[in-house]
Amino acid sequence: MFDFDATLPLMAVQFLILTVILNALLYKPLGQALDNRDEYIRTNLQQAKERLQQATELAQQYEQELASTRRQAQALIEEARAEAQKIATAEIAEAQQAVQAELLKIQAEIDQQKQATLQALEGQVASLSEQLLAKLLA
Amino acid sequence: MPLIHLWTALPFAKLEVGHHFYWHIGNLRVHGQVFITTWFVMAILIAAAFVASRKIQQVPSGIQNLMEYALEFIRDLTKSQMGEHEYRAWVPFVGTLFLFIFVCNWSGALVPWKLIELPEGELAAPTNDINTTVALALLVSLAYFYAGLRKRGLKYFTKYIEPTPVLLPIAILEDFTKPLSLSFRLFGNILADELVVGVLVLLVPLFVPLPVMALGLFTSAIQALVFATLAATYIGEAMEGHGGEHEGAHS
Repeated sequence: MFDFDATLPLMAVQFLILTVILNALLYKPLGQALDNRDEYIRTNLQQAKERLQQATELAQQYEQELASTRRQAQALIEEARAEAQKIATAEIAEAQQAVQAELLKIQAEIDQQKQATLQALEGQVASLSEQLLAKLLA
Repeated sequence: MPLIHLWTALPFAKLEVGHHFYWHIGNLRVHGQVFITTWFVMAILIAAAFVASRKIQQVPSGIQNLMEYALEFIRDLTKSQMGEHEYRAWVPFVGTLFLFIFVCNWSGALVPWKLIELPEGELAAPTNDINTTVALALLVSLAYFYAGLRKRGLKYFTKYIEPTPVLLPIAILEDFTKPLSLSFRLFGNILADELVVGVLVLLVPLFVPLPVMALGLFTSAIQALVFATLAATYIGEAMEGHGGEHEGAHS
């Protein structure tokens, strides 16, 4: 069973030869392939991460722009409404003034006519009372 | 082993421990059956490696996928024992140890070698011959001496008197027990597994040996893993030294 002979060194030599052959056929090319794949996956992952980052940044930027645009629109609407309000108030005030003025003018006219009528009546009072008197005395 | 030789008449359940199919090269004797199965195993490994790396694809499939899985497993194993910086140079050695022992063990359990008649001895896993396991274990010893000397120069030998010279005999003894335990663990496990299966087949030829065979497959795989892991540990240990100079490198 423990029969040592030239098998021992020859096996060692054979094993070393096998190591050299497998190194050339297996470990080097396949190790290279494994490393390349690792590298490939790593760079791809890196790129994907960068792209995701860019996309997130872009989305954020758009969001911000959208928000600011919405705010501007809101401000514009507010401004327009205020303007319209102002114009409306001004026109109403003007119209009221015009109506007031017309009213005053008409009042004055009525007063004048009343005055005139009263004066005319007063003028006629004398003649009418004379006529009355004449009728009574007759 | 007279007990075992009682049953040598049965054709498929013959157990031949200590019988070898000798080849004579010059005035050297070698165990031919070990070389035949070793060449078979080497052919399988080289063929698999060749097919796997013939046209390498970005998205692996088939045998390339399988061998990449094996390679990644080996890389993880070496990395965990030697650390991120040193492991790459040792992947071929540790990986070949693992693959070679693994395929050897499984070839002994899965290939019906008994169908091939040899004049003497029998074909079996190369790892059930003590020559193979001692050769591998001595290579591991050389490897860790080489790794230590290359990494730390002559300071490598300070490991014998650190942390205290009192442990010098034990430190020296360790250099002998490491290959001894490595080789005998593997040899004993594989031989014992084949013997147990053989004896069970002798006693009950059908179905009963199957669970033991399955267990044998499991042990064989574990032994390959243990051998490769220990080899990587020894090499990593030799490179690391006792000093705290590389503390930060291994997190």
